[in-house]
Parts: sequence; C-alpha cells; structure tokens
Amino acid sequence: MNPERDSCLVEVLDRLLDRGAVLNADLIISVAGVPLIGVTLKAMLASMETMLEYGVMEAWDKSSRDWYARQEAKLLLNADETILFKAFGYLWQEEGIIGAWVPGVWNITSRRVLLWQRSPGKVVFERPLQDLYVQRTKASSPERKELELIFPEGSAKIRLSERLEFEEALAGRRASMVAVEV
Amino acid sequence: MEESQDMVKEARYLYSVARTGHEARLGSIGIQENNVYTIPYKDIAAIVHVCDAKPYHTEDTKLAEEWVLEHSYVIDQATKMFGTVLPFSFDVIVKGDDDVVKDWLCRDYEYLARELLRMEGTAEYSIQVYCDYDYLETLVLAKNQELLDLKNSIEKEPKGKAYLQRRNLDLKLKNLTYSEAGRLADQFCSGIKPLVKELKSESRTSWTPEKYRDKKLLASCSCLVSEEAVKRLGEVLEEINRKDGFFVRFTGPWAPFSFVRLQEAG
Repeated sequence: MNPERDSCLVEVLDRLLDRGAVLNADLIISVAGVPLIGVTLKAMLASMETMLEYGVMEAWDKSSRDWYARQEAKLLLNADETILFKAFGYLWQEEGIIGAWVPGVWNITSRRVLLWQRSPGKVVFERPLQDLYVQRTKASSPERKELELIFPEGSAKIRLSERLEFEEALAGRRASMVAVEV
Repeated sequence: MEESQDMVKEARYLYSVARTGHEARLGSIGIQENNVYTIPYKDIAAIVHVCDAKPYHTEDTKLAEEWVLEHSYVIDQATKMFGTVLPFSFDVIVKGDDDVVKDWLCRDYEYLARELLRMEGTAEYSIQVYCDYDYLETLVLAKNQELLDLKNSIEKEPKGKAYLQRRNLDLKLKNLTYSEAGRLADQFCSGIKPLVKELKSESRTSWTPEKYRDKKLLASCSCLVSEEAVKRLGEVLEEINRKDGFFVRFTGPWAPFSFVRLQEAG
C-alpha cells in the first residue's frame, strides 16, 4: 500500500505544535520569559482532542475545520442584540439545602443578562434587562466580589471578579431606565 | 504584559534548517504571503521570513489555521528544493536580523549538520493499525475449546446459573481478546521495526478518520523511514491490511517532526 498524504488540519497541527524543533529561549521571542509557541493554536488543538475523545465530534472530517466558529456561534443572540460585557464568574444555585457556585461567562447584552456555559453550551441563567436591579450582598467583601441580581420573580446571587465593570456595564445600559442601587 | 523584547525591533520567523550553502528566494509563500528566503552558513541554511519581534497570535481560528497550513507548506516546498529539512515548531521567532540567525547557525553548526545528516534521505511516516474487536473476539472464541464448551453448556443450564456463567464467559473472552490484541500489536511492530530507522510508539492518535471510528486502535507509531525502504514498508503494511478484521492507515511523507532533536543543542 502507498502512504497517503492526508494534510488534514489536525495532523498538521499535531506536528507543528507538539513536535518539531524549538530553540533556546534566549534566542527566541517570548512573553514574560515563557516561549510563546502557538499558545492559541495549542489551546485549539487541546479542545479538539478533548472533543474527539469524548466522541462529541462524530461528524468530524475535513469540512468541519470551521467547528470552532460554530462552537462560538452557539450562544444565539437576537438580530439586534449585541454583547456589551463579558466576564468569567459564578451563579449560586440551590437545590433543597444543597447549594453550589455554577461557573460560566456572564454576558450583558443590549437586552439581557445571562450566564453562558461554553461546555456543554447552554444558557444557565437569563433575565431581561428591564426590571433588573443589582445590589451588593451583605456577604460582599473586596475578596468575595458577590452581587445580588433582583428581578420581579426573585433574586440570584452571583460572583465575578470584574464586579465593578459588571455594575458599570449594567448601569450604563440601564441608566435611562432605572437607577442602579449600590 | 508583553516584555520589551530588549528593544529588538527586527526578527526572523524560522521554518526549518536545510542542507544548502546558497542564498535562495522561495517566493512569497510564507505566513501571510511573506517572502521566504535562506540565510546560509557554510553548507546549511535557515529558512525564514522577516517579521516583527512579536509572536503570531490571534483569536481568529480561521486565520490561525491558515498560518499553520502556510507554515506546513513552506516546509514542504523547502523539502522539495533541498531534501529533508529540520522542521521547526510553529511560532519560533528569532530575535534579531540575518546576522543573529547566522551567528546561531555558526554556534550550533556541528549539531545542526549532524542532525541533517541523520535525516538525510528519510521522511517521517505515520502508521495506525485498527482492528474490529468483535471480529477478533470471534476468532479468539473459535480457537479456544474450553470457552466453546462453556458456551455450549450455558444453554442447558437453568436461568440463574446460565447468567453467572455467561458473565464468566464474557470476562474470560474479553481478557483473552485483550491479550491477543497486545500480542498482535507486538507482532506487527516487530515486522515494521527492521524496515525503519527509528520508531516512536504513540499511545494515542491525534485524529481518527471517520471510517475507523468504530474500530479499536491496536498500534500507532511515527517512523523515520529511508526513501528506499518505503516501498517494502508499504508491502508489509498491506499484508496486515489484508487480514480480515484489520485496517492499516499509512500516511506521509512528513518532514521529520517527531524525530528532530534540537532542544539539547547549544
């Protein structure tokens, strides 16, 4: 049998990123002393491998090279909706007496506030911006970075390190509607 | 966050080191259509393009993919022109101008020349052997009288006992099939080994094409193979591929990505 040169991206990536020669760090460009050898691409390869391992990508083939773009597009926005703020954070969820911080990415769009989990790709929490208030909880401390979202049906405890920016983004969006309680 | 690269403004993106003592222009085939050329020292040369002193970095995956394929293309073209090259990883950027690159070639000349010689006339190939596990299991069962007897006796047993015996049979069969798979993998490897200069076993593969998805990976390796041995290697793999229940994937040639060792240099 003759060897096939199947230049599929995953194989090229595998060779170019994880194999191949590198040079002494003193010779090459680095970020803060760490040689930066295709950091983005390495992350990309790692996520592809994980997905392949778990069989998520059954239809994977050459034509699916744009999977990453599709993955990103899974957070569906309305036609006139734009993302104004994005930061990693948590939502406190309680089931009976058991509670846990659920991680995700807090998004403030022109219409709603939502917590997006990239894997498995779902909106964990969302509320329209109207009638949404935010206030710091009693437990809030500079370290905890907690906030309480208050809406007509109830409230939700959230946590994110960019608390100030979150408050500002929300206030900016709602400035004309409701004063943000701080 | 980025450190000031010691005020270095110029840099060279490094694709590979090749066996040539000449200045050559490979055209605008580099990443983002950059002009690729050689920086020779004695009888070896670095293949580079001029770039800014900062890494190639993007969040745009399409663009990143393009860069990787362009990098790979330059290595392929250089291999066509100069024979086997020492391929570099993505985003290896030398701080400084042509003279800095030349200084490095001079400093590491002995090592680079030796690596080039070791790779001369060879290329990297990738081999995966897949097998149909269910088929292998039937083969194992057919050859094992003890298990066959057990299988036949189960049908006559009452329900409860039959259940336990079936579990016993399944477990034994599974273990035997695993060890048979291991034995076959070793057998295949020892058939391949004499035909290659170097062999690196891999515990897993980065990618499984659709047609092998429902098969089990029995063996996976990268091999450094001389040009003249490729045909014979293909024949040996064909023999394996012809066996019922076995499937061979044979890809290449690649530049010797898995075998080039420069980390220890200088």
